Amino acid sequence: MGLHSYFGGATIQTLKMAAVPASASYSRFVFSPISRNLVALDSFPRHSPSPPFPLLARAVSMAAAVQTTPPSSEDIGTATGKPQWKAAIDFKWIRDNREAVAENIRKRNSKASLELVLELYEKMLAVQKEVERLRGERNAVANMMKGKLEPSERLKFIEKGKNLKEALASFEEDLVKLSDELQQEAQSIPNMTHPDVPIGGEDSSAVRKKVGSPREFSFSVKDHLQLGKELDLFDFDAAAEVSGSKFYYLKNEAVLLEMALVNWTLSQVMQKGFTPLITPEIVRSSIVEKCGFQPRGDNTQAYSIEGSDQCLIGTAEIPVGGVHMDSILAETVLPLKYAAFSHCFRTEAGAAGLATRGLYRVHQFSKVEMFVLCRPDESDTYHEELITIEEDLFSSLGLHYKTLDMASEDLGAPAYRKFDVEAWMPGLGRYGEISSASNCTDYQSRRLGIRYRPAELAASTNPKKGGKGNLAPTKFVHTLNATACAVPRMMICLLENNQQEDGSVIIPEPLRPFMGGMEVILPKHHTG
Amino acid sequence: MMKGKLEPSERLKFIEKVLNHSASGKNLKEALASFEEDLVKLSDELQQEAQSIPNMTHPDVPIGGEDSSAVRKKVGSPREFSFSVKDHLQLGKELDLFDFDAAAEVSGSKFYYLKNEAVLLEMALVNWTLSQVMQKGFTPLITPEIVRSSIVEKCGFQPRGDNTQAYSIEGSDQCLIGTAEIPVGGVHMDSILAETVLPLKYAAFSHCFRTEAGAAGLATRGLYRVHQFSKVEMFVLCRPDESDTYHEELITIEEDLFSSLGLHYKTLDMASEDLGAPAYRKFDVEAWMPGLGRYGEWQISSASNCTDYQSRRLGIRYRPAELAASKFVHTLNATACAVPRMMICLLENNQQEDGSVIIPEPLRPFMGGMEVILPKHHTG
Repeated sequence: MGLHSYFGGATIQTLKMAAVPASASYSRFVFSPISRNLVALDSFPRHSPSPPFPLLARAVSMAAAVQTTPPSSEDIGTATGKPQWKAAIDFKWIRDNREAVAENIRKRNSKASLELVLELYEKMLAVQKEVERLRGERNAVANMMKGKLEPSERLKFIEKGKNLKEALASFEEDLVKLSDELQQEAQSIPNMTHPDVPIGGEDSSAVRKKVGSPREFSFSVKDHLQLGKELDLFDFDAAAEVSGSKFYYLKNEAVLLEMALVNWTLSQVMQKGFTPLITPEIVRSSIVEKCGFQPRGDNTQAYSIEGSDQCLIGTAEIPVGGVHMDSILAETVLPLKYAAFSHCFRTEAGAAGLATRGLYRVHQFSKVEMFVLCRPDESDTYHEELITIEEDLFSSLGLHYKTLDMASEDLGAPAYRKFDVEAWMPGLGRYGEISSASNCTDYQSRRLGIRYRPAELAASTNPKKGGKGNLAPTKFVHTLNATACAVPRMMICLLENNQQEDGSVIIPEPLRPFMGGMEVILPKHHTG
Repeated sequence: MMKGKLEPSERLKFIEKVLNHSASGKNLKEALASFEEDLVKLSDELQQEAQSIPNMTHPDVPIGGEDSSAVRKKVGSPREFSFSVKDHLQLGKELDLFDFDAAAEVSGSKFYYLKNEAVLLEMALVNWTLSQVMQKGFTPLITPEIVRSSIVEKCGFQPRGDNTQAYSIEGSDQCLIGTAEIPVGGVHMDSILAETVLPLKYAAFSHCFRTEAGAAGLATRGLYRVHQFSKVEMFVLCRPDESDTYHEELITIEEDLFSSLGLHYKTLDMASEDLGAPAYRKFDVEAWMPGLGRYGEWQISSASNCTDYQSRRLGIRYRPAELAASKFVHTLNATACAVPRMMICLLENNQQEDGSVIIPEPLRPFMGGMEVILPKHHTG
């Protein structure tokens, strides 16, 4: 039955769609007789005295059922379907907690296919077991060959050894393919969810905190575009010619304001122990995937570089996540806290509707991003610390905002929990997101391969005579990321909220030292 | 002729005359269409060929290759060290300022992370430079870093050539800028400016992306040649009769900036074979970098007078005050601060025997008053 043709010669993509053939030749299964239990598989030739592999048969019959279900629509991996890298996903944990995982997928409205993952996992385990068995046999044969044998006996063992080698090679190939397919499917499974996260869509997000209230204006309010025009701060029209829509030039005081926001934010978070970084803005696509984004999906936010496997970053979270990839950190260096400044590039494909004018949704912008790597037991604490830092920054600038505990359908695959801050934008007449703080627990670290070695040695054991000390096994770190300052959104807030009746804009006090002491942006008096 | 009043015989004679010259020999309308088609093809081919013709050259430009470039000015002299000098990579390692290894994994070679004081140093260099040139009347700009390829071409670069410096965006006609000169050049494209607004002087800050395809040889490690860096670029649009003057102004501004930071450098009047197609005249500044050993100097800036080469391609005209026909402006561009090269200079020249690095005075207020970058004491 199907196993040979199921794997042999079929690509990963076709595996899911191909019908299981009724019969085929399985000469390489020469050492795997079919047990009496496997009624459906009686077309297997029976050559070997070895016991059957019931698990495999069960997996095969399950495969027949699986063939009819559509493949997962979340396609992580290359166009050929083979993942270029492996996430260290804990399949056993998923299997042992399948109910919780299934429930989590449901409440996140995710398209991941848990059933398929579990089936593939079982299949893979079965094949693995067979591979080990065959290896055992091969070793036994090899041992026999070392001893004294009659020529005819030797010939038989040589023949057996050869057959074992072929069967082993074939099964090992199957193992690789199963493993790849399992990877691809399992990578779609979203992170688990913090128990306090509200269940549902965006309307279910809970308000954690509200600071200030919308300013009362005694005159009619202008939006940032109009203010920008009157104060000669932006040029969207020239940028549309030069680059396309959703690009802009910043001019005059807006340049100083951006520099001030970035400089002030960096200095503030450095004081809180964050190491400043300036990062590459071109990265390998695989890094983007490992952080939980889809660089080559249909509605991808990532710009790809022609003729290479690189793309532009949409956030400094990506290159910072990459700093410690494939590493084992000493527990003593944790937590690692970075404040990364970069330009960010986003295609905004699929972002339609209102609030796309002006600075609200642009293809390129500057951002200071906080990134933390810590022990698992500390991530909830650092999540609270990050949101507090954000709130302090925004309060210092005099913004009126609310902090939301995002609901389960709005989390995004990597986040265990996510706090968004929305600030009041009078020109828009509503709240607009200015930051996001996510606890990604071990979702990213399992993909990026970032582990730490706990410090504790077994204090009470007898030290082995002349031996090495016992090293605790490594664990995955938890990673968190939080926006300290996304310049365009901050600029909208500051311009619209701080406008005066005469068209000037007051600069918040903390920023003035970073703008040469400037206190207010005044309307220009144009000549001619 | 046909519109006017003609005798039928005259009309016929005229048609015959045209027919004798027409390619198809059939009728006037077809002949015209055919010639018009030829005109378009000829025009396109002419454009393509003529675009390769480089700009004219200032009479004072030395003729020849790079060895013929003339030294206009020399400021300072190489510092004498009483200890063995470290290059910026070693200083960066000891002071925990860069990470090239992690960047090689994440992005590829010639990428880097800046860390700790290097971040402050970059911010300080950019902030100080912007404030300096703003005081000289330059309008600050922050520009797009993704532009349509056609703009790159109009500035005189070859975005899709073999050894192109430009990264292209997949699935679009856009590419990344290698210098803010490009998006700033585009600001006034296809425009007629009033003479009264000239000169327009911009100081543009952007990240720059360069493939460095075809750049081989020495000085490719570390910060000498990287794919991404920050730069403040000056760009001037002016009347033709003023461009020589502004060229002098730009190089003077550059020299003042570099002198303020205590650099030892020389200014070169680049020779004719080293100009690049758009430049009528080009001044390069090369600064002393002790880590380069016997090679000593490396380019830290470039100031070009492109006269009307770019403006004819970008379509930037001005209307002289006396209602005369419009003319093409002249454009100039000059590097106010290319951060990695400046960083090499400052780290290598200002290093102390104990491994610390002195921060030049003008930058200290922009680094919270920090005067020196000290070696870190690592635990464990």
